[in-house]
Amino acid sequence: MNRLYDMEPRVMDDDMLKLAVGEQGPREEAGQLAKQEGILFKDVVSLQLDFQNILRIDNLWQFESLQKLQLDNNIIEKIEGLENLTRLVWLDLSFNNIEAIEGLDTLVNLEDLSLFNNRISKIDSLDALVKLQVLSLGNNHIGNMMNIIYLRRFKALRTLSLSGNPVAEDEDYKMFICAYLPDLVYLDFRRLDDHMKELAEMKHQYSIDELKHRENLMQARLEDEQARREELEEHKAAFVEQLNGTFLFDSMYAEDVEGSKLSHLPGVGELLEAYKDKFVIICLNIFEYGLKQQEKRKAELDTFMECVQEAIQENQEQGKLKIAKFEEKHLLSLNAIREESELSSIETKIVEYSEDITELFNVLMTLEMQLVEQLEETINMFERNIIDLVGLFVENVQSLMAQCRDLENHHHEKLLEIAINILEKIVKGEMDEDLPDDVRSLFVDKDTIVNAVGASHDIHLLKIDNREDELVTRVNSWYTHLLDKIHKDEIMRNRKRVKEINQYVDHVQSELDSLECGDLLD
Amino acid sequence: MEVLKEKVEEEEAAEREEAAERAERGEKTKRPMEVRREETTMTQEMLRDLERKLSEIEVSVPEKLLAFTKDTIDTSKLPLSYQSNTLKEEHLLQVADNFSRQYSHLCPDRVPLFLHPLNECEVPKFVSTTIRPTLMPYPELYNWDTCAQFISDFLSMVPLPDPLKPPLYLYSSTTVLKYQKGNCFDFSTLLCSMLIGAGYDAYCVNGYGSQDLCHMDLTREVCPLTMKPKESVKEEEKAPPKKYAIKPPRDLTSRFEQEQEMKRQEAIKAEEENRRKQEEARLLEQENAKTDPLHGLRVHSWVLVLSGKREVPESFFIDPFTARSYSTQDDHFLGIESLWNHKNYWVNMQDCWNCCKDLVFDLGDPVRWEYLLLGTDKPFLSLTEEEDEGMNDDDDVENLGKEDEDKSFDMPPSWVEQIEISPEAFETRCPNGKKVIQYKRAKLEKWAPYLNNNGLVCRLTTYEDLECTKTLEMKEWYQNREDMLELKHINKITGLNVDYFKPGHPQALRVHSYKSMQPEMDRVMEFYETARVDGLIKREETPKTMTEHYQGRPDFLSYRHVNFGPRMKKLALNSAESNPRPMVKITERFFRNPAKPADEDVAERVFLIAEERIQLRYHCRSDHITANKREFLRRTEVDSKGNKIIMTPDMCISFEVEPMEHTKKLLYQYEAMMKLKNEEKLSRHQAWESELEVLEILKLREEEEEAHTLTISIYDTKRNEKCKEYREAMERVLHEEHLRQVEAQLDYLAPFLAQLPPGEKLTRWQAVRLKDECLNDFKQRLIDKANLIQARFEKETQELQKKQQWYQENQVTLTPEDEDLYLSYCSQAMFRIRILEQRLSRHKELAPLKYLALEEKLYKDPRLVELLKVFV
Repeated sequence: MNRLYDMEPRVMDDDMLKLAVGEQGPREEAGQLAKQEGILFKDVVSLQLDFQNILRIDNLWQFESLQKLQLDNNIIEKIEGLENLTRLVWLDLSFNNIEAIEGLDTLVNLEDLSLFNNRISKIDSLDALVKLQVLSLGNNHIGNMMNIIYLRRFKALRTLSLSGNPVAEDEDYKMFICAYLPDLVYLDFRRLDDHMKELAEMKHQYSIDELKHRENLMQARLEDEQARREELEEHKAAFVEQLNGTFLFDSMYAEDVEGSKLSHLPGVGELLEAYKDKFVIICLNIFEYGLKQQEKRKAELDTFMECVQEAIQENQEQGKLKIAKFEEKHLLSLNAIREESELSSIETKIVEYSEDITELFNVLMTLEMQLVEQLEETINMFERNIIDLVGLFVENVQSLMAQCRDLENHHHEKLLEIAINILEKIVKGEMDEDLPDDVRSLFVDKDTIVNAVGASHDIHLLKIDNREDELVTRVNSWYTHLLDKIHKDEIMRNRKRVKEINQYVDHVQSELDSLECGDLLD
Repeated sequence: MEVLKEKVEEEEAAEREEAAERAERGEKTKRPMEVRREETTMTQEMLRDLERKLSEIEVSVPEKLLAFTKDTIDTSKLPLSYQSNTLKEEHLLQVADNFSRQYSHLCPDRVPLFLHPLNECEVPKFVSTTIRPTLMPYPELYNWDTCAQFISDFLSMVPLPDPLKPPLYLYSSTTVLKYQKGNCFDFSTLLCSMLIGAGYDAYCVNGYGSQDLCHMDLTREVCPLTMKPKESVKEEEKAPPKKYAIKPPRDLTSRFEQEQEMKRQEAIKAEEENRRKQEEARLLEQENAKTDPLHGLRVHSWVLVLSGKREVPESFFIDPFTARSYSTQDDHFLGIESLWNHKNYWVNMQDCWNCCKDLVFDLGDPVRWEYLLLGTDKPFLSLTEEEDEGMNDDDDVENLGKEDEDKSFDMPPSWVEQIEISPEAFETRCPNGKKVIQYKRAKLEKWAPYLNNNGLVCRLTTYEDLECTKTLEMKEWYQNREDMLELKHINKITGLNVDYFKPGHPQALRVHSYKSMQPEMDRVMEFYETARVDGLIKREETPKTMTEHYQGRPDFLSYRHVNFGPRMKKLALNSAESNPRPMVKITERFFRNPAKPADEDVAERVFLIAEERIQLRYHCRSDHITANKREFLRRTEVDSKGNKIIMTPDMCISFEVEPMEHTKKLLYQYEAMMKLKNEEKLSRHQAWESELEVLEILKLREEEEEAHTLTISIYDTKRNEKCKEYREAMERVLHEEHLRQVEAQLDYLAPFLAQLPPGEKLTRWQAVRLKDECLNDFKQRLIDKANLIQARFEKETQELQKKQQWYQENQVTLTPEDEDLYLSYCSQAMFRIRILEQRLSRHKELAPLKYLALEEKLYKDPRLVELLKVFV
């Protein structure tokens, strides 16, 4: 770490960057041009800033397309200011005073990272660098062998250098790395031979197997979760998530204090059980119906999209054909005009040509308008169909939900009956069984118990209503969004095409005009 | 035989027969009447005239007599079954005779049946037994078409001795194959044997054919090779319109006008069609003008294949002469007398007034087909005709008895030997390996492979006129050529030659069409693009242009078109090669490179070399209809101060669908232009290389044409010289090895064992003695040998000494020649002595070793080992 501190630390300012860019830009003729025009920072692909005594990385945010950045042999202490350089592939920060790896989370394209000769003591914060192939961490302060296990996650890593670290003094160092990073090809600038790898593998087999097992478990768990999430997502798209079980039923009783109290009454348990079964069956019906409808809607949407795509494609082909034909002719007539010497015939030809242009414009626009009309019709048809589908879906779901409500009502009546019976019994003092105190407190008089049962019933109905409302609103918002998007897309497409046609025709016209001017000048 | 006596049917049959006969003999009956009429007022002259006429008619009949007569066949070597009949066969002949008698009695006006002609040994054999079903070992002969083709090629046709009668002789197929010629009956018998062997339901037919058919005259037929294969009309099923398919724009044209137009077109077409038809009819008439006086009487034999077996969907005829298949309704077949296979014989009871068009080939129907033997297998017993069964019910008792008798009798096995075709004969195919067939406006010549040293196996010449004087085009098929040439198509009118190659040409050539072999002329070369590194598919050339099509290149080039300007004035020193034509324009097109965005991916690149202009057209983005364009002017100019202008905005005219900032920059344009300049150089170089390659290919082709070497498969042991040599060498080595082994196996104990009584087990004493004797004997031999060598040595030495003495005595008087002689003798003698000396010493050295080796061997000899063990 014998750094020359006699020089003043420098700041990365515009001038420095400009100078560097200018020096490293194109040479000779191209260089003259570059100088003439100036080079924009965002066009620079590679930048070299070594031996500049830079203390702090700064002002690099403009270099959007930078792929290679060299900042070696400076006195940088912290990795920062690189967030915008997302295209970076090659980053050299060797011979600096960096103490921790950080600030690299946006550099997803990075393949080659050099942090040689710094003061790093721990390898971490590299998670975003999935494409990493070369990692140079020599001459640092890494002391813990476990840092190497962290590197297992980089599947593309082939070259690693760690010499000059405390870990490298360990006699098992090479073996350990070989065993834990089997895909590595070069370590400390030397090729790892297969024999060595075998030996290492044998030596560390147990711990590696354990590690692998753990990794696999983790992987499996992740995958499971992923699958579950995807399934839920799918159900959500069908608007029937969590209806394939007791979730709704459970949620009905979750906030229902009285309900749970009442369930302790004799005879209510069985009633509840039967009620639950029936309820769940209806829920499942809704669920399955929802999935089926979702599939139908999807198929409908897919055919629609496909047809629209086809129509657009065909229209484009026609347009292309027209343009190709025109261009052929256009080349000929341009040449003819150029070669024509007589003024009068030039004029007639120019007139002819501009007529051609107008005709092309008309033809293309006609095609486009035709397509717009056709698509409009199709979209309207689709709109009608999808609204019908959604309407049907909502209707059916509502009828199923009504069944749920009926069940609840039925249950409520039964419950009320039981409650009143028990109340009577209690009043008559014929109650044999013991009731928990909080339950008994309900049976003070008829109003209390009826209120309690009624409250429970209300909560249940509310839950069912809520679920139904949620479903219906979501379905409705889905299709309105969808239709909106389709309309918007179509408008966008139309505008783009019209713009394109105009642009093309303008270009052709301007070409003709320039020709005219040239002729007139001649 | 059962139904023969059925009265009603008999009458009917007779009536029908009569009608048929009348129809058939239509012409024949007319002629005798004519003759008779003439006879009434006959004069000498008329008689002569008539004679002349008659002789004229007769001329065409026996064109050449059966060259293949009995005299030429050596019958003595034929097997016994050829020379005599077995009991069963005799019985069969009797049955056949009986049948024939009844038949002629019942149908007196029909010609006698062709039942048992004589074979080559003058022995009558029943026709069914002449069929010998055989499956050939060649896979090519498994299907009927190739099988028939082989027979038609392999045998040469001999007309019947009497065209109006079936032949007296029917030779065995083995004899026919041996002499490679035969008449239609021989042909069909052989073909039938092979087809039945291959599993077809095939029958030999004796019937009547047209003149063309009987004379194997194909001059009125269109050659099957000249006919264009019918384009299979593949109607692509239109996918049903999808639910949201857009509606087509409204058609605003008048339907009435369209209909009128259509009507007009149709009228024109109909008129043309009419004219064409008339023309055709006229031609047909012309051709048919020469009608055959013996129409309907010419006896012919062919093969009938019935549907059912081997997935034959429909019954058909095969003419064995030409190997062509005909539908059973064909005009060439004028009637059937009888047919047979290896199991049974059927007589046609149907009327042939309308040729074979109305015949029903339901052999199980006894009304239509009268069978000879109550066979075990009736091909088809039609279930629908209950009438027949009713008739069968009231059969006569006599008939029933006969039936019973017949039931126990089935066809004896064939007397013909196994049909064999040697591989050589199979390959040579035609007699002498050559065959010529004349078709209508075409001539087909065939040769066996390797017969022509340029590999020509087939040539089809088509003519413009019927007389075959003006050649239209020639197609030549080749085989086994080293240069993989497969077909050569020469159009005599346009002068266009097209060569087709199989995969494997050194330059991956597939098709080469040209008018002349001179370079820089019109030509098209197509290549097997997978075999070429550069992915070239096709290269077209005209005197001024060269177009190349590519596929599957890593740089996505698909097309290159080069325009050439007029050649510069040649410098005196330069040869043609080093003075390429200047290129004026190079157009290159590219496939879409999916790795690049569409508006940076060049679709077409035009280098206008003379104008120093480069035009680029880019690919179209997926949602656009216009594409980027860019044009570079490459002029180097000098500005007012005399500095070179590097790049100015007007040197690059571009149109961009979605204008981008960075492409406007001069630096970008400059770099693009520099790159294009390099690429232009590269393209020019490639074009130049293509030109060179054309020259190279032309040279190669010429060399190949001259050399026309043929390849010989390594499995073709007969032709492959190298292989033959190798095999012979191997055989020699094997033979020597064998000899050596025989020597090695000489039993050293044999002479001694022979002294002992044979068959007894050796005692130990005997064994010891045996061993000792053997060893002693060997010792003696060794000593003898040593003595012999010693004796020879001494003799030589003595002679030499004598000679030396003589020389010393006469040294003075000797002539130089004698001296030379002496010296040469001396050196030779010395050599011999030295050799003998060496041999002796070697013998002395080896003798004890040999002795020991023998002893060892004796101890280990299996016969002695048990007994001598004790002593070891």
